[in-house]
Amino acid sequence: MTVLASIRDLAVTYRRDGSEVAALRNINLDIIAGERLAIIGESGSGKSTLALAIAGLLPQSARTEGSIEWISQPLSGAKAPPSVLPDISPSRGEIGSSAAGSFQPTSAPTSSAIGESGNRRTISPLEGEMSGRTEGGLVGRRGQESASKPNHNLLLGRDIGFVFQDPSASLDPVMAIGKQIAEVVHTHLGLDWRQSFAKAITLLERVRLPDPDSALHAFPHQLSGGQKQRVAIAAAIAAGPKLLIADEATSALDTIVQAEIVALIRRLVAEDGMTLLFISHDIALAAELAERIAVFRHGELIELGGTGQIVNAPTQAYTRALLDAHIGLDAAPLLNRNGLNA
Amino acid sequence: MSLLTVSNLTKRYSRGGKTLAAVDDVSFHMEPGETLALAGPSGSGKSTIARLVLRLIEPDGGRIEFEGDDFLTLRGAPLRARRGRLQMVFQDPLAAFNPRATVARVLDDPLRIHGVASRSERPRRIAALLERVGLAADLAPRAIHEISGGQRQRVAIARAIATKPSLIVLDEAVSALDVSVRGQILSLLLDLQRQERIAYLFISHDLGVVRAVAHRVILLDAGQIAESGDARAVIDAPQSAIGKALVAAAPKLNRNRP
Repeated sequence: MTVLASIRDLAVTYRRDGSEVAALRNINLDIIAGERLAIIGESGSGKSTLALAIAGLLPQSARTEGSIEWISQPLSGAKAPPSVLPDISPSRGEIGSSAAGSFQPTSAPTSSAIGESGNRRTISPLEGEMSGRTEGGLVGRRGQESASKPNHNLLLGRDIGFVFQDPSASLDPVMAIGKQIAEVVHTHLGLDWRQSFAKAITLLERVRLPDPDSALHAFPHQLSGGQKQRVAIAAAIAAGPKLLIADEATSALDTIVQAEIVALIRRLVAEDGMTLLFISHDIALAAELAERIAVFRHGELIELGGTGQIVNAPTQAYTRALLDAHIGLDAAPLLNRNGLNA
Repeated sequence: MSLLTVSNLTKRYSRGGKTLAAVDDVSFHMEPGETLALAGPSGSGKSTIARLVLRLIEPDGGRIEFEGDDFLTLRGAPLRARRGRLQMVFQDPLAAFNPRATVARVLDDPLRIHGVASRSERPRRIAALLERVGLAADLAPRAIHEISGGQRQRVAIARAIATKPSLIVLDEAVSALDVSVRGQILSLLLDLQRQERIAYLFISHDLGVVRAVAHRVILLDAGQIAESGDARAVIDAPQSAIGKALVAAAPKLNRNRP
């Protein structure tokens, strides 16, 4: 098992109207290379902040602490499953207070800074003790990477593909879609424009857009919502990223198109061996796609496990409540049918 | 007598020289106190039907009878009087309300415009409406943008019931809510329906929710009725192609129930 990214003690605070709002607290999570991991939560859970933090897309005003380490080599001698949460449930109170403490800049002694956090941090000798779970090899690798690349060392667009909820907002309305995809290829793979456009056609075929040759010259407004999302996915995977992040990428689509886009994402991720981070408010949808599910609430990761375990044997009451709130096609009717003629 | 009878309703749009029927010869009726769901994919015409029934847009053909009146020919005072009986709740109340308004203002408007209560009586009515939808009366002076999405949708429901409607059009009214809030809002709607005998025209893309709350369902495809009937019967065994596709596409949580 290879860890692609190791998130340690991640905290993100937004400044809004002079006050600080904690969007994420004390997040420890390993993303395993090649897995389909779903991040589930309601509004305000921090799930989108996590996606933005991983992609290095947080606004400048956001303050981040902790680290996101990109690990390209297999972990040697990693014994434990990399993403257990041994320290969550029994002592939520403690976690809360220690998280509050870690908002002080001085107590964030982790290595590489994330994105635009601004203040470059030095590696503290305390690191091993602080995280409490790092093993020798990992610490060494961390030190190396953060020394050579103080910033985000995976590049958005090339190594990370990002698909947003609203393709109308993420695509350029006045640029032909072929150009938008070819631009990614040209920028990140260094191909000339002719080759980049040829690759764009291949990508439009891969996302099953009808008639890719003429679609190349279409503008976003000429496409349906589902087709636009296919184009956005084609652009996201154009440079062959290791990680594909889909942030509520199907939430604005109707059920049938949603199912098609989910099937498309599943196929592309499998074909290219990508790792998938699927951010969603819909636990049923996530369970259909993901191998593991991480449940977020109020900025904290409250439960992480295999999809089967989360769905059938959740340990947290909140996860159970989310599952119970799902109104499926087999749900007990809420409607008292005698009411109609009463 | 039916509460609402829609006959041969048609609405066409022209786009790029071509004429498209958004709603194509649709007929249905609703009884008092009934929930009728309109479900279908994007572009199937469900929201257009809602807007036609509310007379936010005018049809190209067909007839709408509401509480015995030929609703499409009503003008002026009689139309305004009827409008209070036909209310609406949309997906995004933030977009539906004046963002600078307070909760009290949002609820005061319909009471004033429809002459439901005198100026001196209105604060008491507003407090009662808030209580009716499960909100504290001290929410009244708060700004609409300050309260949570769930609270806002409760205010939208309070606004809708202020004029004692017989029919409320719910256009994706619970679709944007967190699941934990969604259940509470659905229960509130069903409570109100039981007590006030309000009918709901319930527009949703979510067949699970439709099956749980609607008496009957109409499945729409490309502006036409593909299938209709008892909500549970239709969704448990859809006959139309679009019905089968909608059911197949609905996310399913395969829990091992004890």
